[in-house]
Amino acid sequence: MIQRLLPFLTLIALFAGLCIASPHFLTTTNLSSVVRQTAVINIMALGMTMIIIAGGIDLSVGSILAMGGLLGSMAMERGLPIIPSVLAGVLTGLICGFLNGLMTTQLRINPFIVTLGTLGIYRGVALMISNGLPVHNLPAGFSYLGEGAIAGIPFVWFLLVVCAAAVHILLEHTKHGRFAFAIGSNPDAALYAGIPTSFHTVTVYTIGGALTGLAGMIEASRLMTGQPTAGQGYELQAIAAVVIGGGSLRGGEGTVIGTLVGAFIMGLLANGSDLLGISPYLQQAIIGAVIILAVAVDELRKRKLG
Amino acid sequence: MLLQLTQIEKRFGGVTALRSGNLQVQAGEVHLLMGENGAGKSTLMKIVAGLYQPDGGSFLWRGQPVRLTRPADASALGIAMVHQESLLAPHLTVAENIFLGALPSRGFGLVDRRRVHDEAARLIATHNFPLQAGWRVERLSPAGKQLVEICRAIHRGSSLLIFDEPTSSLSEAETREVFRIVGTLRERGAGVIYITHRLDELRSLGDRVTVLRDGETVHTAPMTECTTESIIQHMVGRPVTAIYRREPLPPGEELLRVDRLSLDPLLKNISFSLRAGEIVGLAGLIGAGRTELCRAIFGLDRPTSGSVSVAGRGVAIRSPREAVAAGLALIPEDRQHTGLATALPIAYNITLAHFDEVARMGFLRRAAEESVSRRFIQQLRIKCESPRQLAGRLSGGNQQKVAIAKWLVKQARVFLFDEPTRGIDVGAKVEVFETMDALARAGAAVLMVSSELPELLQVPDRILVMRQGSLTGELPGRTTQEEIMRLAAFSQEASA
Ligand SMILES: Nc1ncnc2c1ncn2[C@@H]1O[C@H](COP(=O)(O)OP(=O)(O)OP(=O)(O)O)[C@@H](O)[C@H]1O
Ligand SMILES: [Mg+2]
Repeated sequence: MIQRLLPFLTLIALFAGLCIASPHFLTTTNLSSVVRQTAVINIMALGMTMIIIAGGIDLSVGSILAMGGLLGSMAMERGLPIIPSVLAGVLTGLICGFLNGLMTTQLRINPFIVTLGTLGIYRGVALMISNGLPVHNLPAGFSYLGEGAIAGIPFVWFLLVVCAAAVHILLEHTKHGRFAFAIGSNPDAALYAGIPTSFHTVTVYTIGGALTGLAGMIEASRLMTGQPTAGQGYELQAIAAVVIGGGSLRGGEGTVIGTLVGAFIMGLLANGSDLLGISPYLQQAIIGAVIILAVAVDELRKRKLG
Repeated sequence: MLLQLTQIEKRFGGVTALRSGNLQVQAGEVHLLMGENGAGKSTLMKIVAGLYQPDGGSFLWRGQPVRLTRPADASALGIAMVHQESLLAPHLTVAENIFLGALPSRGFGLVDRRRVHDEAARLIATHNFPLQAGWRVERLSPAGKQLVEICRAIHRGSSLLIFDEPTSSLSEAETREVFRIVGTLRERGAGVIYITHRLDELRSLGDRVTVLRDGETVHTAPMTECTTESIIQHMVGRPVTAIYRREPLPPGEELLRVDRLSLDPLLKNISFSLRAGEIVGLAGLIGAGRTELCRAIFGLDRPTSGSVSVAGRGVAIRSPREAVAAGLALIPEDRQHTGLATALPIAYNITLAHFDEVARMGFLRRAAEESVSRRFIQQLRIKCESPRQLAGRLSGGNQQKVAIAKWLVKQARVFLFDEPTRGIDVGAKVEVFETMDALARAGAAVLMVSSELPELLQVPDRILVMRQGSLTGELPGRTTQEEIMRLAAFSQEASA
């Protein structure tokens, strides 16, 4: 039990530690910035949680994020109003995710390979469409998505809470979620039980893509640019959040709460290192070590139970 | 005295699997280990094989206390085990699995592939097993995997061999070969521990018997002093009858009709039908195509020709989903790979095939799931902590019961049971038969694939027999083993 709560306790300890270590930590500005910084990874990681639970993986999320952010920004640049443009970004991500799912299920290629391929393809397409140039001419109102606040609380916080609640309900309380667990745990048993496994697998990738598209729009809003090079390396952070939170790359395991905790642990580590003046190089190594540690502890717990 | 276990204890988290396991095995004896599902047999044997460490008690090997911390320690003592659930490396070949951990080397860490292959082929040939050294293990049926496990154990073990339900998925011919192997081991002076739920095996094998109940050794005696009934009584703790007799019903309307079904090269021109209220047996040797027939009917494989109709209506079943929608249920033979999601809770498994029964508009009703799960846990007497326990943490027989319960949440019209009693104890077998009978009485048709002749003679109203992909005949329910074997075995007429 203690070990199951370990990620949670780590997060609390980290939070408390930083409160003591730095006077600049527990300030509204700093905490808002942590929330804003982690929201992008957090929302991506929610989709990744579903994908990993269903026994898949999506390495292309960084590129999907760029595609979503870029196409949404381009739509705005061409005069489409803000909300439809944001939806266009989400739709772009959704389509990219759908294609990933379609290829893994229909061509029966390992998702690791498929999304390794689309990681290159989506990035390449984004660079081609934009000629490699960022989109700058965005309406001022667009910055509200990433930087706005309601009663002092960042707008993205609300977005994150809504997305997390939706994914949690989907996973724990609906047929689709249950089938995702079954497919991830034993795809053959799921098939034998009469579950349309391909449909549910594609759905999981599609939802993951849509969330990543949203994350792309948030990223674009924060930078007020649609960049074809955005999101490089984010896939690893999203996967790390899921894994630190107790998700298993073997499938069939993972929770929304765990993933959020995982993402915030990484967010706090990054923020804390900045505040304490730890070099960003060392920061990367620390996060890497945390991933290994988290998984090792989790495996130990399972082994103990036999 | 080869092995002396005294008051062995083993706990998993809060679950006590063994309270007081006592067992003594001499060189040159075949020792039967009996007990109900979940009694702790496999756990005790895994301790002997070095897979688990005991939490208490003493473990003497040839009179000396030993502490085995890994399977390799057991191997070093000449102890080998044939596991109930296959512990093979699926992507390796049969030969590589047999030699795994003891691969012949050409030096510099290189594996001598030719020797691995040739020696494995020789081993397989001496026992006449239907295997080939080069086959990949993941493609094998449970029976095939079992035979690989057996080859591996006899290759490894020199002084003590443990067989954990070796014959639960084997048919007559292979079972006889296993008996022969056990006999040879005894003559060679090795100790053999043999776990089984097949009562017909008791008499032909054992020198002594030890009975476990709820993690405790409750009885040890020479076989000559026991009757089958007394053993069962010790297992269950009360007198029970292991004899099941089914009162056949007058058959109703035709629910499943299979017409000239072929699937090159596994199934040839198969026609039969099942009626409401009927339990029909399907007999045959390993590789006769019984599982393939079930798979084809259930939409897992596409037949090359022929048709299937359910309740008089022609249906094209192209996937298990369509099969379920048409009112079919398949309880597959290989619970580990196709029957269960072992990493998920029991409750998830039970409601998997009929999720809509515990959901409203796609949303799960937890209370309904809980009560449905508890109902079947009680009805099938699944020994578990709670419906939230992971299915993989159950004993083999209890896992099988969960795999069956999954199809009882909502009644289908046609049930295909592929080796339904695999790994189930004597008492629980009767419960499974009663469950099948209740399904038939409620108007379903049941096809029961089985390799156990005694149960084929007890349960079905009539028996279909397959040989090499063809139906070779139909027999009435109360036939004889000889009749079934005549139709199932490769006879002269067949080759002529
Ligand atoms: N890894 C595990 N984690 C938790 N409980 C376990 C584990 N392995 C076994 N058990 C529990 O220990 C008890 C004994 O299990 P065991 O597998 O030894 O039974 P068995 O006698 O071999 O039964 P069967 O005839 O069904 O194979 C069962 O109640 C089972 O649920
Ligand atoms: Mg067992």
